Amino acid sequence: MQYKSQSVAKLYFIAAIGLFVAQILFGLVMGLQYVMGDFLFPHIPFNVARMVHTNALIVWLLMGFMGAAYYLVPEESETELFSPKLAVLMFWIFLVAAALTVVGYLLVPYAGLAKLTGNDLLPTMGREFLEQPLPTKLGIVVVALVFLFNITMTVLKGRKTSISIVLLLGLWGLAIFFLFSFYNPDNVVKDKFYWWWVVHLWVEGVWELILGAILAFVLIKVTGVDREVIEKWLYVIVTLTLITGIIGTGHHYYWIGTPEYWQWWGSIFSALEPIPFFAMTLFAFNMVNRRRREHPNKAATLWALGTGVMSFLGAGVWGFLHTLAPVNFYTHGTQITAAHGHMAFYGAYVMVVLTMISYAMPILRGRAANSNKAQVMEMWAFWLMTVAIVFITLFLTAAGILQVWLQRIAATPMSFMDTQDKVALFYWMREWAGVVFLIGLLVYIWSFFCKGEDKTAA
Amino acid sequence: MAGTFTTSMARNIFFGGTIFFLLVFLALTFQNEQIIPQRDQRAQLAANPAIAAGKKLWETNQCIGCHTLLGEGAYFAPELGNVYKRRGPEFIKAWIKTQPTNTPGRRQMPQFNFTEQQLDDLTAFFKYVSEINTSNWPPNIEG
Amino acid sequence: MNSPAIADIKVHHPPGDLAIWVFILAELLAFGVFFTTYVVTRMHNVALFDEMQLTLDRNAGALNTVFLIAGSWCVARSVAAIKLDHRAASARWLLWGILAGGGFLVVKLFEYSAKFEAGINLATNTFYMFYLSLTFFHFMHVILGMVILLAVWLKAHRGGYSAADHHGLETGASYWHMVDLVWIILFPLVYVMR
Repeated sequence: MQYKSQSVAKLYFIAAIGLFVAQILFGLVMGLQYVMGDFLFPHIPFNVARMVHTNALIVWLLMGFMGAAYYLVPEESETELFSPKLAVLMFWIFLVAAALTVVGYLLVPYAGLAKLTGNDLLPTMGREFLEQPLPTKLGIVVVALVFLFNITMTVLKGRKTSISIVLLLGLWGLAIFFLFSFYNPDNVVKDKFYWWWVVHLWVEGVWELILGAILAFVLIKVTGVDREVIEKWLYVIVTLTLITGIIGTGHHYYWIGTPEYWQWWGSIFSALEPIPFFAMTLFAFNMVNRRRREHPNKAATLWALGTGVMSFLGAGVWGFLHTLAPVNFYTHGTQITAAHGHMAFYGAYVMVVLTMISYAMPILRGRAANSNKAQVMEMWAFWLMTVAIVFITLFLTAAGILQVWLQRIAATPMSFMDTQDKVALFYWMREWAGVVFLIGLLVYIWSFFCKGEDKTAA
Repeated sequence: MAGTFTTSMARNIFFGGTIFFLLVFLALTFQNEQIIPQRDQRAQLAANPAIAAGKKLWETNQCIGCHTLLGEGAYFAPELGNVYKRRGPEFIKAWIKTQPTNTPGRRQMPQFNFTEQQLDDLTAFFKYVSEINTSNWPPNIEG
Repeated sequence: MNSPAIADIKVHHPPGDLAIWVFILAELLAFGVFFTTYVVTRMHNVALFDEMQLTLDRNAGALNTVFLIAGSWCVARSVAAIKLDHRAASARWLLWGILAGGGFLVVKLFEYSAKFEAGINLATNTFYMFYLSLTFFHFMHVILGMVILLAVWLKAHRGGYSAADHHGLETGASYWHMVDLVWIILFPLVYVMR
């Protein structure tokens, strides 16, 4: 660790992993409810489990991004963090807010929670992924702004690298587009239209800048390839991302009351969205092949390469699968979307955060890399989780194809619930793959406590 | 001629390209705002306050956590964008009132204890959504 | 001034920065997919497309083709001039190129205003969806191309380029030629071909 203030990242990483566990546990609850409908009902209805599952994911990824930024920016800027105290304070505020929100979800009926938290003042709740009560939403804005202030000031007082510029742009974009979560018109078409400005422009826009910056940083560190080379490819990749991804938003505007020209614009531009992901895969492998040093942290390199491959598969290939309007007409709102969502989030964002944790955590704990034994364990976790997500995706895809066929294409279409019964086998297999994922996650956590001969001190 | 691939050029193209495509997207959004009045049933929305009340009930009971609305939401329970056309108002109200079914092993919907007024607001909301021009989606009445 | 750099340039392909070529290829791909979609959709709606095509102002389209080809020629002259280190001439040619782009925009705006007055928008029909989308997307590119040329001109005007170093000028010129090329495909495809 070159700068003392980088150590605040550790808090964020630990909390991120904690929330990751919560996310997976609630995912397993939901998976079981898919096949055993009354499981835990009425104590934890499906919608509550799903809120915890998705919101925990979002919060832990944000924690991961923030931790990554706190670790990466001082090193890039070659200066201590503007205010480590502020970073620690914001961490606790964020964590407490997240915990209170989850407790609220679990203990108070949602309508009561809405009343309790002043949703009547400005109704923003009850929309997918943006279920957070108003105080939580405001808290997110405050935490994000203070965080951005801290990071921006650090960059301004130190060296300005391409990586920190791209990262900052991504983080600022993240905060700015979140503001659309406060816009909730009665008009459903407009509501849905601008809702995507948070959701799509996050995950297929500004988050990818963050992803690119983190990946580039880790690649510089583990491969020793010239910064110059990595940075210009970073720019090329994020350019491709945004020129396809921004108008690619149109692929959500096919069937929600918006005009039909979106079907053309959305199909054409989102069909090009796999290109930047493919470029990223090539980039990651290319840089590792051209490495000029053998970094002792093999696990981090594996995560970095995994991010390239899995984001291409999940976001690129599985996204393309149902992005064209004539296909999407049949697949919209089915398990195909769920399949894509799982692999894309894991492949792109979960893996990039774990890449950063894998690289930074040993250094934060005072060594260049973990012991060989711990790394082997971490790599086991990598394969368990990655293979599990591949199978989750495949089973959900199979369920989705069958669902589309039975419910939407067949001459005598089946009702939704009858169709669900027909595809139950795939839901069972998905749940078992989910159990494997949890095992992978436990192995991952275990690897942090694995003793063994440490590699050279950092 | 040195430097046929420079970081500064890549950076300029990144900023220029991003701003450019953002502008194109904003232009498409502008056109969107001009066309949707013909499709989004806003006259109905303005005339009948029950729709907005129904939407708020839809939100504050987190219906989207199980159902989809115009294909967006969770995929655990049926599509409700066209439920008004599929089932009609009376069935919808009766259904909501009798939940949960408590059939063992079956997916359960909570009891929300809505008043008659609230049930009417919700059905007004479903009627409104079912009449939005969605380019003929979903492919059939089953959603 | 006949410097050895000229010989160098001949072996350096493509002209301009590699980054702009990645961008150009991405743009050509987007346009290419758009054109292909147009052709396929037209095959299914020949009658509509043929009928609607007659409502387009073909003369305006032809005039614009002249503007863009002339503009490209001017920009090519500018690159040729700088290779001989004729800096003032190079900057002048750039200005003519920008002017040609401006001419294109004026004609196009007249064309658009006639269409908008007739109440045509992206929802009118499939043909007009394509006509407006393709020409508007290209229109925006002309503006972007002009902004780039303007930035290049500002530097050229100050004498910032020379026979030995005109990397930026060639980069901008490459982009401008792409904008021209797209129109040369777009015009016959949308306005003329039946």
